[in-house]
Amino acid sequence: MVKGWTGKRLRIDLSLQKAWAEDIAPHDLRQWFGGRGLNASFFSQHFPSQVSPASPENPIALAVGPLAGTLAPCSGWTSIASFSPLLDPPRYGITRMPGHFGASLKGAGFDQCILQGKADRPVYLWIDGEEVKFENASRLWGKKTTETTIAIQEEKADRSVEVLCIGPAGERQLPFANVIHRLSWTGDHLGLGYLFGVKQLKAIAIRGKKPVTLQYPKRFLEVCLTLKDQIHKRQKMRRQDGALALLGGGESTGMGIGNRRLPSGSEKQWAASLWANLSGSESCFSCPVHCGRSIQDREKCLAGIHLQKAWYLGPQIGVSKGEWTVKLHRLCQAQGLDPFLTASLLAKMMEGGEATPLSGGDPGQVDEVDDQGELAYVLLRRIIDGGKKKFHLSALPVSENEDLDILADIVSFCVIVVNRLNLMTVSNIIDLMNGATGYALTIQDLQDTISNIRQTECRLQNKKLHWNDQSTLLHLEKGQISQILRKEERRNVSISDWTAS
Amino acid sequence: MNAISVIPERCTGCQSCEMVCSLSHEGSCSPSLSRIRMKKWEEISVFIPIVCQQCEKPPCVDICPTGARKRTPGTDTVTTDEEQCVGCKSCVYACPYCAPTLHPVTKRIMTCDLCNGEPLCTQVCTAGALSYLPEGDPSMGRKRAFGEALLHSLRTR
Repeated sequence: MVKGWTGKRLRIDLSLQKAWAEDIAPHDLRQWFGGRGLNASFFSQHFPSQVSPASPENPIALAVGPLAGTLAPCSGWTSIASFSPLLDPPRYGITRMPGHFGASLKGAGFDQCILQGKADRPVYLWIDGEEVKFENASRLWGKKTTETTIAIQEEKADRSVEVLCIGPAGERQLPFANVIHRLSWTGDHLGLGYLFGVKQLKAIAIRGKKPVTLQYPKRFLEVCLTLKDQIHKRQKMRRQDGALALLGGGESTGMGIGNRRLPSGSEKQWAASLWANLSGSESCFSCPVHCGRSIQDREKCLAGIHLQKAWYLGPQIGVSKGEWTVKLHRLCQAQGLDPFLTASLLAKMMEGGEATPLSGGDPGQVDEVDDQGELAYVLLRRIIDGGKKKFHLSALPVSENEDLDILADIVSFCVIVVNRLNLMTVSNIIDLMNGATGYALTIQDLQDTISNIRQTECRLQNKKLHWNDQSTLLHLEKGQISQILRKEERRNVSISDWTAS
Repeated sequence: MNAISVIPERCTGCQSCEMVCSLSHEGSCSPSLSRIRMKKWEEISVFIPIVCQQCEKPPCVDICPTGARKRTPGTDTVTTDEEQCVGCKSCVYACPYCAPTLHPVTKRIMTCDLCNGEPLCTQVCTAGALSYLPEGDPSMGRKRAFGEALLHSLRTR
């Protein structure tokens, strides 16, 4: 058996209430690595044409990479793919979810989990190693995410169970609902709440106890220890502030102000007032950065808030007081709403109110309508076209180095650490892959896989490879590698010269 | 007397300690193979690592019916003799921390052995919840953390 991976795929049919395991061929693992790659390969094999997001056949694929669930730093991310209701027209979409769910999936003995079908009554899925049960969730239907999580854990008499659930928003099939686990980490941008709601799937509760085996455990341990130390020493944020420390620094966050531009200085004020509401940190699986902060209420604290969400529910929509960001966030968290899309919607609605498109702009025309339909049409047109910015659903952030994102996704690493903070280099990842799986990889191998995934995803999304895309691809094959290499040189921290054990 | 000092307020629930413990002792990664365990209450963001504190007067040694639990001469650790252990779990009930754990494969009791004097969990705990205090009073770190928290709450009141 290949080490690092489990080589198993969990297939779940909610209509028939059946679950079975499939083998994933070792050459597939070698070709696609894991996570986003495995998902793309599954969809291209089984779903060459589009499926409606509302149909029961629409699969939800959750996958992890060979380094998930190990000591490797920040290895807790899960890649998720499905036909998304948020894309126009609905098509193949991907997202990534931080946290602990991926590690538990791996611990249960699976690299990938495919959910299909539609239950005839609300259910939640109980995955305890290889035992999979479809449990009645009528009791949980309508409950907030906090109550759901605790209720399931108490039903299973084990608070260490990881619960991935939807809130009332997902049950009502709002397209901008999300899934949440540990009440803190969410799968956003894909309409996952809607997809779970359509399937009448309230939650996935998972307990993984199987060990992840490694090819060269001693060597792997050494690399991990060096790397954790390296990340800890070079991290650009203080432990107390978490990733929120990046806020207030303007461009350094990589997040521009969307619909509003606050007067200068108010960003810092917002950050300060937000910090007053925070206490304690939390972190993803095996991560030395600890970027999440927990929210402290008067009465009790309530699990985490993370950099981007805080930003979107803060300065992005013109909120200048941290208390309101916290309140908005808690509402999203309890109801299972995607904070990014909710913020987009709020921004547009608030802007609409301010610029008064409902009455202003061209008042004469609106007053003289002879049918409410015309009025409605004019208003909708103005909402779409008018204001300072068009209505824009926030998508998965596009980074300047998409290849590094894909690389992080296929091994289950944190894109923030790998791509934005650049705390880890490509050769570090190659070292870890070698320790875990025994494959001696080169940058070219990784580049090939990444190009492969890009092409497959383009095909799945019915995007033709335009001349521009093609030239980027060519550019990436040469330019990007040298860019990555330059980065490596700059950091000069390759730890590939440890001796073979 | 050396021991791992735990400051639960600082724990972020990342489970790095479990991973490094399982990897270094068993050669594979799983929370169920770890001698240290993180317990979580996510709704209030409370995470607490539980590990053997190497008691001065260990109840696990007193209660062990086969004499498998004993203090290793020359070191400060309380260990299990795998030959003698019958997996009766008496020590689990006697321990004030409930720190001993049954190994899922060998079905013998396993507890922290301080990694021969260099506990790896304290090295990977970048949150500062675990520290190994080789000299002096191991509760000093804990006392200091409490003092800091008190100071903070007084200042921000």
